[in-house]
Amino acid sequence: MSDRDGSRPDERLDGRLDSDGVARQRPVYSESQVIMTTVKVVIPFVMTYGLFITFHGADTPGGGFQGGAIIASVFLMIAFAFGIESTREWLANSLVVGLGTVGVFIFGAIGFGPLLLGGNFLEYTRYEPLLGDLLGLKEYEFVKYGMEAVEILGIAFIVSGVLMGLFFALAAGYSPSTDSLAVTGDRRDGADTATMEDTDD
Amino acid sequence: MSDTLLALLVTVPLVAAIFPLLVGLRVDDAGWPIAMAGSLAVVGLAGSLASTIYTAGPEGQRLIHELAGYPAPYGIELVGDGLSALIALLIGVVAVAVLVYDRSVDRPDAFYSGYLLLTGGLLGMTLTGDLFNLFVFLEIVGLVTYALVAAGDGGEAAYGALKYLFLGTVGASLYLIGVGYALVATGSLNMLDLQTRLAEVGYTDPLVQASFGFILVGFMLKIAVFPLHTWQPDAYTHAPDTVSAFISALVSTTAAYALIRIAFDVFTVDFFAANPLIADTVVLIASISIVVGSLLAATQTEVKRVFAYSSVAQFGMVVVAVGLNSRTALFGAVIHLIGHGLMKATLFMGAGTLSSAYGASTIADYAGLAKRAPYTGGAIAVTGLALVGIPPSIGLLGKWYIGLGAVESGTWSVAIVIFVSTLLSLSYVYQLIEALYFTPLEEPTGGESTADGAVDHATMADSAVADGGHAGRIAPERVAVVALLAVSTVVLFASVGLFDAMLDPVFGRFFQ
Repeated sequence: MSDRDGSRPDERLDGRLDSDGVARQRPVYSESQVIMTTVKVVIPFVMTYGLFITFHGADTPGGGFQGGAIIASVFLMIAFAFGIESTREWLANSLVVGLGTVGVFIFGAIGFGPLLLGGNFLEYTRYEPLLGDLLGLKEYEFVKYGMEAVEILGIAFIVSGVLMGLFFALAAGYSPSTDSLAVTGDRRDGADTATMEDTDD
Repeated sequence: MSDTLLALLVTVPLVAAIFPLLVGLRVDDAGWPIAMAGSLAVVGLAGSLASTIYTAGPEGQRLIHELAGYPAPYGIELVGDGLSALIALLIGVVAVAVLVYDRSVDRPDAFYSGYLLLTGGLLGMTLTGDLFNLFVFLEIVGLVTYALVAAGDGGEAAYGALKYLFLGTVGASLYLIGVGYALVATGSLNMLDLQTRLAEVGYTDPLVQASFGFILVGFMLKIAVFPLHTWQPDAYTHAPDTVSAFISALVSTTAAYALIRIAFDVFTVDFFAANPLIADTVVLIASISIVVGSLLAATQTEVKRVFAYSSVAQFGMVVVAVGLNSRTALFGAVIHLIGHGLMKATLFMGAGTLSSAYGASTIADYAGLAKRAPYTGGAIAVTGLALVGIPPSIGLLGKWYIGLGAVESGTWSVAIVIFVSTLLSLSYVYQLIEALYFTPLEEPTGGESTADGAVDHATMADSAVADGGHAGRIAPERVAVVALLAVSTVVLFASVGLFDAMLDPVFGRFFQ
């Protein structure tokens, strides 16, 4: 936030007013009791709804993708209410990157497991001889809970992590003139999924 | 369980793609070793896939891995045969080679994540046996390629990437529409299943014809066949050299492979026999692409642009083989796909080496550079001649069999087109060789009449230094990898028997 506080006052109202193109399209945070209170009230419900959608993905409409998006929207709301920069510092990059990457890792691990047990990729029923007695599940239930695991631990993590990363990367903007740490994606770093924009902070 | 190789080939690079980011949170410069480990794993897996198929008996030459254990028409299959094993091997080898070339450049971790994602996406396109799954991997490849192209310096790279994004997305969408028509006509997405079901529906059914038409145009956009090539020169020219080498060698190649796979494994030769107009149109468009691509390449001054337009011509030759309906021509097309991948990787890496060391980006800049960089210059010359088709080289093999197939099937015009294109490619390769070897070296301190050029040269060398290179100093591993690939394009001239052994069972199925 520090670099924005020094900018001219009229830019704070409308990002498009600037003539030199320095701070364009950067929404500037202004503290609002209405928004902060509303967000505080709404967040628990949205979070619960997101988790509900995620956990019910296998047998009702919903799933990891939709649930992950709703969970990410919680953090987007927090960012709008309490300032993007402070939310970014509060969340820490390792969390945002970690969500996306660990999600892929868990997905991969669940998929690779049956390969080690002599089956095909993602063939959940192969876990049955190994874990069936331990978990008390029947063979067909492994398909259901295997999918649940991929949805919840894999896809929901990935989607929420990537959406948050995209949001913060876009909010950080592109400033060719400055070499600030906030925009690590200044030159070659434009590559790939947006989560990386935050990695090197 | 050798079919496990197929699942590992696709998933290992995709999962490995997270580690540059994850490890990068704690450790600096972890991206390159991880990407290298992933790429080496791909080479190992692809190599063992190829050797499994090569040594297997007549039955075992097609490996099938049913994902999640669901049987074929309902579940998604990964299928490996001689054709896809060759392409997978090419992807692995080029991925390792380009990474070696990239060693001396400092890049963010996310670049290597993208690199591995792209490798995994390409392998997915190569090995999938499902039309919709192919679309998913096509999108993975497309999105990562746009991002990697945009990783270049400045606005031109962003412009090139944006153009590629618009056209590439249109191409993928057209493909998806085509798949949708096939689904409406047959109710299936599995390639093997579609083969029988399309025959039941009838090849002259408008739905089936429209399906092939959309798929064809979608892939022509992705392959960059004239007049749908407009994204390609900008993307190749303005992308970082590493990315240019990688995508020019693999992305269009894999799209062309997918077109061949769908044309002959899903729609089959009977479709072309029933629709001679479609086959003739493919031959016509591809022939135009060969000539126009060569002409455009011959008129360029920027080296990377020459190579980019040359790709338009080379891929025209591959696509022409799809329309020719000749086993010999298709054999040539597959060899040319692999040869072109190796040659373009070599040429773009060679051009990148010279541009980062000497700031040389136009043909005029190459004047006398062979004295300063004998190995890189020599590799560019050898590979350029291979691209023309001077024997002994893999470039000749591909063109020869495509031309032979054209003559065998009575389409003399294609043979003439290939001959004309060879002459044109000789003209632009000769320009390069002439500049490299027979034009006197420009000395920046010489104070000659070309003072302007010398100043340009010096400033460009400076910018190259800022770019991570060292003026006048070339990283030895770059020279080694470029020279090695250049030699491989010559040595592979002797590999017809190997290609034949790999492809014979596949083509036996295509041309029953």
